[in-house]
Amino acid sequence: MTANQAFSLTPLPVVVPMAGAAVMAGLRKWLSRATVDSLGILFSAITLAVSICLLSGAVHAPMVYWFGNWHPRGSVILGIGFVVDPVSAGLTVLASSLTLLSLVFSWRLVESGSNHFQPLMLIFLAAMCGFSLTVDIFNLFVFFELMSTAAFALCGLKTAEPAPLQGSFNFAVTNTIAAFLILTGIALLYAVTGALNMAQIGLSLGGRHDSLVLFAFTLLTCGFFIKAAIVPFHLWLPDAHAVAPTSVCVLFSGLMVELGLVAVARLRFLVFAQTFLSHEPQLRAVLFGLGTLTIVIGGLMCYGEHHLKRMLAYSTICHSGIMLLAIGAGGAIGFSALMIYLVAHAFIKGGLFLGSGILLHRLRGIGEKTLFGKGRSLRWTGLLWFLGAAGLAAAPPFLTMTGEANLFHQASDVGSSWISWACLLGGSLTCAAVLRVGMHTFFGWGTEPITDEAASIGELPETDAGDRRIFWYQYLPTAICMAVPLALVLRPGWLRVASEACARFASQAYMLPLVYKGMASSGPAPVLSVATADAMWHGTVALVLAVLLACSSVFRSRIRRPLRLGAFLERRLTPLRAMQSGHPGDYVLWLTIGVATIGLANVLLFS
Amino acid sequence: MPHVLHLLPYLVAAWLFFCGLYGLVSSRHLVHSVICLAILQSSTYILLLGIGYRVGGVAPIFADIAPGTVTVDPVVQALMLTDVVVEAVVVALLLAMVVKAHEKSGTVSPDELRTLRG
Repeated sequence: MTANQAFSLTPLPVVVPMAGAAVMAGLRKWLSRATVDSLGILFSAITLAVSICLLSGAVHAPMVYWFGNWHPRGSVILGIGFVVDPVSAGLTVLASSLTLLSLVFSWRLVESGSNHFQPLMLIFLAAMCGFSLTVDIFNLFVFFELMSTAAFALCGLKTAEPAPLQGSFNFAVTNTIAAFLILTGIALLYAVTGALNMAQIGLSLGGRHDSLVLFAFTLLTCGFFIKAAIVPFHLWLPDAHAVAPTSVCVLFSGLMVELGLVAVARLRFLVFAQTFLSHEPQLRAVLFGLGTLTIVIGGLMCYGEHHLKRMLAYSTICHSGIMLLAIGAGGAIGFSALMIYLVAHAFIKGGLFLGSGILLHRLRGIGEKTLFGKGRSLRWTGLLWFLGAAGLAAAPPFLTMTGEANLFHQASDVGSSWISWACLLGGSLTCAAVLRVGMHTFFGWGTEPITDEAASIGELPETDAGDRRIFWYQYLPTAICMAVPLALVLRPGWLRVASEACARFASQAYMLPLVYKGMASSGPAPVLSVATADAMWHGTVALVLAVLLACSSVFRSRIRRPLRLGAFLERRLTPLRAMQSGHPGDYVLWLTIGVATIGLANVLLFS
Repeated sequence: MPHVLHLLPYLVAAWLFFCGLYGLVSSRHLVHSVICLAILQSSTYILLLGIGYRVGGVAPIFADIAPGTVTVDPVVQALMLTDVVVEAVVVALLLAMVVKAHEKSGTVSPDELRTLRG
């Protein structure tokens, strides 16, 4: 396909699912469940095809699409543009493939809330695609809100229980505040620069960093951190995941949370690229600090959790911290670490959520204790589950390891090799939690799991009680999710292309002429090759530590008391758990404290 | 004195923002929480309009004014309208959730509606 043909497809990743959702929502009363399911799969498959065309076009030559032909005049940009470079087109491919997989998984399975489920999923997809492609910061806010609103509705879909309403309410309140923080930040940036296009804002900000710019930066990053579930803004995420249907969790954890981080990366590399040139070490310190805190708290809470979906949600928080470290490390390699890790994590976490969906459907339970020893007959699900656990630890040969290799390389370049220890800790804690559940459920090994009252929320199955069979179309998406991060490692050719594309995306000097003139500057892209030996060792050590930790929990009655580290961690996290009160007011209070602290740190460090 | 008047919209915006935030933190009633969220959002309206205001500016309808006349900034007004739409959607959705929660559990207090914990 030539670049010209691909160019005319640019708005379609947003238009196709949106139109599909409108048709399905309009006709939902007259359509049967099977028709709505097939229409949903059809529209997301078309979106996937269009996105792949865009990606293949963008790899040859990145494109800029101006809606209504409002091209830039001189240095002023009035129009709204979509920039299709390999990174943003790749994100649309990821979004549409995850949506397709989860719609296939929920074929006739998930209770669809009188056919509202599929149109909402398509709107969610459209918003994620728009969020990835747009280069206008207000447009970014609109897609952020569209994504959030569809997510709130999807999260509270099971209105027959009070818990989903509560989880969805907390989710909605915190994320709406996030949107207002972002909007206030955008308004301040507009007041300073008179621009809404991110490239133009970046150009006119230059190296300026007075208190107003710092204030706008704090509000914008905190807003996106709330979406990205960075501690102390993470409290909404486990509640939302505990109650949302499993196939929705795939999209929440797989991409929605990470898109918050991608937006932060865009801010850092395009809008505020010049602002912090003289303060790089301080900016790194702030981001590394937040990332490490997120990894530690997310990892510990993940290990202490016994509700499968909440456990996976905490693991998402932990891995979000690892990805924040990649943004903190900065530079071309740091950004490629973020993107590679993001893709790998999206599929692995998606696969684990689908696996937990199979367990919920087949065994009618989601608490570790309820599932104890019941999964012995589910051999294939067990295999995929353990593969996912290894992927979380970034063990070779998973793609997560390649991402971490890039991260360690960049970190040692900027003299902070210690962050590899944080990654090791996070990887082994989350992997150990998943392994522990696997050993308990699929083998029935060891002592009966420790449990708590929280582990029984959302036990009400999502599906019809009569039919507990599992079909190939539930195994297939799960297997694909696990196969992709393994298969991508086997074809290293794309990694070079991806690293080059990431290096360009992270360079303001490349993006500005692209947005303004629609052409890529012809400077040679740096050839990035990173040694993976270190990360291989690291991943293997993380996996071994995780196995040991999981065993110390599972076989706690057979080992001596001082060795029962796992059981100790499971029981003694009361202060951390108290933070997770389920009360929207408390969450808003933590959010306020977080924004105030980050703002104070920014003022002290940067002025 | 004019200096204070220029600052006034920003002060009002900050005041509304913190009112909404305080209300959300201390709320004992879910409908009250939703309204506080709406108040919090009103601060962004004031902020946007304050940013776009020009002293002596007229409405930006360019059909019947001479070129070069000072007008207030139409871009922020468009942003504010979009913001209003966004708020309407979110508030409607949240209120629908509150109604459902009341139907299912008979309470609208966030303190009693706490099945998700720890």
